[in-house]
Amino acid sequence: MMLSRSTFSRNAPRALQKQCSAAGASSRRGMASAATPGLQYDVTESAGVKLAHREVAGPTGTLALVAKAGPRYQPFPGFSDALEQFAFKSTLKRSALRINREVELLGGEVSSTHSRENVVLKAKFLSNDLPYFTELLAEVASQTKFAAHELNEVILKTLKYKQQAFAANPEAVALDAAHAVAFHRGLGETITPSTTVSFEKYLSSEALAEYAQQAFAKSNIALVGSGPNSAEVSKWVGDFFKGVSSTGSSIKNTASKYYGGEQRISSKAGNAVVIAFPGSGAFGTPAYKPEASVLAALLGGKSTIKWTPGFSLLAQATQGFSQVRASTQNLAYSDAGLFTITVSGKADQISSVGKNAVDLLKKVAAGEVSGEEIKKAAALAKFRALESAQSLETGLEATGSALINGSKPYQIGEVAQSIDAVTEAQVKDVAKSFLSGKASVATVGDLFQLPYSEDLGLTV
Amino acid sequence: MSAPSLASYIVKRPWLNRWMMPLAQWYTDAAGYRRLGLRADDLIPEESETVQTALKRLPPKEAYDRVFRIRRAFQCSVSHTLLPAAEQTKASEDVEYLSPIIREIEKEKQERVDLDALVVKR
Repeated sequence: MMLSRSTFSRNAPRALQKQCSAAGASSRRGMASAATPGLQYDVTESAGVKLAHREVAGPTGTLALVAKAGPRYQPFPGFSDALEQFAFKSTLKRSALRINREVELLGGEVSSTHSRENVVLKAKFLSNDLPYFTELLAEVASQTKFAAHELNEVILKTLKYKQQAFAANPEAVALDAAHAVAFHRGLGETITPSTTVSFEKYLSSEALAEYAQQAFAKSNIALVGSGPNSAEVSKWVGDFFKGVSSTGSSIKNTASKYYGGEQRISSKAGNAVVIAFPGSGAFGTPAYKPEASVLAALLGGKSTIKWTPGFSLLAQATQGFSQVRASTQNLAYSDAGLFTITVSGKADQISSVGKNAVDLLKKVAAGEVSGEEIKKAAALAKFRALESAQSLETGLEATGSALINGSKPYQIGEVAQSIDAVTEAQVKDVAKSFLSGKASVATVGDLFQLPYSEDLGLTV
Repeated sequence: MSAPSLASYIVKRPWLNRWMMPLAQWYTDAAGYRRLGLRADDLIPEESETVQTALKRLPPKEAYDRVFRIRRAFQCSVSHTLLPAAEQTKASEDVEYLSPIIREIEKEKQERVDLDALVVKR
């Protein structure tokens, strides 16, 4: 104990000094330079398909197909979910079972997910099997059968379970409702239709096949890979993606607009309140505001270190409330963002924590937070941004999304610089703008106890 | 579903086909199900998993028509009558609607069996 404390006291000033030094991350470590390959994506185009590849030495590779087909772009509710589920089902060439067995034999992993904006088909494999998996992705994108019996026997059944899982998670429901009041249509569409949505009347295999043709058209998809052999990737993509249709203009795309408001949903699954404000868009878009992510780190709520509440304001404020969980996030999308404070847990404690959160925001807006804290928050925000770009799960989709939407793909050095450039005044201003504008508040759970936005001190 | 049959042998030989067709048509007509307004596929025994799955996969309209035909035939059978000539099934209407789905399901099952018995040679 003594030893560790003395080491800390020796190193702490140095850590602080390094942190506050004027030199940005890019100059200090040269992250984007050739010395550290594997962080930068090379962007090329192969057979009319946008392709980003990250050269990483190693025995395995990853290839993901990112399609602009999430709930934001779907024509009818439930289509993105169904499209995601239909990935790796029977194609014109082979059955779902065969695809399954072949992937098992080769020892790979295929999966599909969807976010609010994108449907992502991902394959991870031994790098020798690259041609097989490239062909598989192209086949899934262009030749899936969309058999009516697969929809009825497999997809709709799993979709029911997904709906139930979603309804049982009050935080997810509240976040979804917050999106709905914040953006109405587009980004406001529910990510998974709730159990009370009658999506079955819209969903048919023919309609889905038509949507898939637009969704997986060349102009609407991007391939993002990571692995040892970038030259081969573009070669095989060029070979196999020739057959993918090239018309995809009819997918609807309206610019996001922030509205704000309040929604209350009663639920027995638990209690959650989401307080949301217009946040920062993804990097490289006009809506990008690094100060929002710094503010998210400053308010925080979740500690990044074990056994301590951490420095973040919300974590400090909730120390007395053991049965409440609070977290702050900036959810970035291609042309807008949502800054969310999520509070979940016991109903009676939520109202006081929610009030605390709003008070903290007011404190930040009034400039009553020390510069030291903001510097710590900026460091955390920078770490989060860079880490999410570096890790495969989040990096693939972010890169693919940037490619499809025509903005800059993640440039690690620039992200670091933009966050370093955030000043205290900017953080103060963004908090002020949140409080002066309309908030979006979604409340899920025991509505008898949960507060209205008026009670929290917000205007909606 | 598939009893041993000479059909494919005959169909492959046009001369034999031409020779057998009138005989086949007479035989099918004589079987009598068309006079009750049924189709050949209505006679497939339902008591198997494959056919049950196939029935579930029928498009709604086809499924409705099938039930209608079977109930009408049942009524005819109970009352010991035949349908009026206009309502009887014509040879042109007596087409396969269930068998293609059954064949597809059988193919799927066979594929599963084949893949389970697969020997991988590397």
